Amino acid sequence: MGRSIKWLLAGGLVLAFVFWPLTQPVYLSLADLPDHRADPVNGEQIFIAGGCTSCHGDRLEGGQELKSDFGTFFVPNISPDPDTGIGDWSDLDLVNAMMLGSSPGGLHYYPSFPYTSYTRMKVQDIIDLKAWLDTLEPVDNPVKPHDLGFPWSVRRAVGLWKMLYLEQGPVVPGTGSDPVYERGRYLVEGAGHCGECHTPRGILGGLQDARWLAGGPNPDGEGSVPNITSHKNGLGSWSEADIAYYLESGFTPDFDTVGGSMVKVQEHIAQLPESDRKAIAAYLKSIPALP
Amino acid sequence: MARKSLITGSLALLLFVPQAWASESVQEQRHDLMETAKDAAKAIGGMLKGEQPFDAAVAMESFSTWENVAAKAGDLFPEGSETGYDTEAKETIWTDREGFDVELETFSMAVTNAAMAAPQNVEELKAAAGPVFDACKSCHEGYRVEDQN
Ligand code: HEC
Ligand code: HEC
Ligand code: HEC
Repeated sequence: MGRSIKWLLAGGLVLAFVFWPLTQPVYLSLADLPDHRADPVNGEQIFIAGGCTSCHGDRLEGGQELKSDFGTFFVPNISPDPDTGIGDWSDLDLVNAMMLGSSPGGLHYYPSFPYTSYTRMKVQDIIDLKAWLDTLEPVDNPVKPHDLGFPWSVRRAVGLWKMLYLEQGPVVPGTGSDPVYERGRYLVEGAGHCGECHTPRGILGGLQDARWLAGGPNPDGEGSVPNITSHKNGLGSWSEADIAYYLESGFTPDFDTVGGSMVKVQEHIAQLPESDRKAIAAYLKSIPALP
Repeated sequence: MARKSLITGSLALLLFVPQAWASESVQEQRHDLMETAKDAAKAIGGMLKGEQPFDAAVAMESFSTWENVAAKAGDLFPEGSETGYDTEAKETIWTDREGFDVELETFSMAVTNAAMAAPQNVEELKAAAGPVFDACKSCHEGYRVEDQN
């Protein structure tokens, strides 16, 4: 994080104001929502796949610190408490937050909330998720505002960033005909947000799609996150059964245990049906192998 | 003549073996012990994944390996062995010994239960080994450092 980046950002900020209308948060309207009867049972599956508790806490109470190069984020309370959580949100509010990174108050969210992945989710699934969230216990827990340095503290600038990095289409173009692969793709590229850790980021913090799932430095500091493409530096020697078994049990084919930030992910994916783990494995084995 | 050398040979071995043990550091010993835990897990995992046919005797052998691990591990983390031999032991073992002992106890119980269940098919094996696997993971989460891959 050198001087040049500061300048780049300052430049970006100027641009943000020049392009004020362009950096306006984008919203869907009620008319864009499908006619869908919310299904909290599916919503729970989506909630598990999305790993919301990994960041927001077991009771979604918020308050956790997420340290980054840009400053410290305090994860918000998303329990259904009307005052300190999101109890007064509509379905549409949640859809706009998760798919477009836009808040009910007209602001951009920072991509530390992984909407860059959630944007690939189905609107119906988010409506179901909302129905599930509404069944949870409200927790009264006010969370303090983020502590970010200039220019990161200017939410408006995130608008430019989104123009560069918020893409709804699939990352790996491909065989839309195989339902197992498609399910795997949906879980990995969307709700499961695997790319947020397993894909390296560029200098502005955007995921480098050309290095999709090829691993890189650990975003939360130490060590690195492994390559999970089927290259020999990645999961080349793992069978699909090995991958599914790892996600179920937390044991690698060599019978070492899962560690670090992957533990929570594994424990969530373990709660999904076996068919979902197999679908993830099929997807990981089909995408381009990168060194 | 042949017999004589055989005898001296085995005597020499007897003398040699305890020495070899003594010269092996605790860090090395616990590493080797954990490797046996891993191989036992591999044997069971192979059956759970369907790579190997179910074999009740293999399962029991793994349980007995784990019983050995449970019995010995507690003594292999003395004060003063916090570093050395590229140990992956986390300092929490020494700052929170009680927590570590609880993990070990949980593991030990899970192993005893698995052995008593004496699984006769893959489904039963899965049910019996599950809590043991959870105990391995749980202890590693709190008391073992990540290898930086
Ligand atoms: C990697 C960590 C992480 C994960 C996983 C995560 N979030 Fe968040 N979330 C955040 C952060 C950080 C913010 C704050 C963003 C900001 O203030 O710009 C946030 C903000 C939100 C908000 C806006 C809250 C408000 O008060 O405006 C909602 C709603 C939300 N998340 C829902 C979810 C749901 C639902 C899931 C699971 C599907 C989820 N999040 C998973 C980190 C995460
Ligand atoms: C919060 C960051 C994060 C997320 C999100 C994440 N992973 Fe991981 N993953 C890791 C880390 C860190 C490791 C290394 C774990 C270790 O050292 O034991 C890992 C390891 C793995 C491994 C084992 C690789 C190996 O060589 O040992 C697989 C397979 C894997 N992840 C798949 C996934 C899938 C599938 C998803 C999405 C459902 C996912 N990960 C989401 C951080 C993450
Ligand atoms: C009570 C805690 C505890 C339990 C239970 C436990 N381990 Fe370990 N394990 C450790 C510690 C601590 C280390 C690091 C030892 C060292 O490097 O000095 C370790 C290391 C390992 C290693 C790496 C060996 C090496 O040093 O290369 C493997 C493999 C392993 N354990 C497998 C297992 C398996 C499989 C189980 C369950 C059957 C298990 N462990 C149960 C604490 C535990």
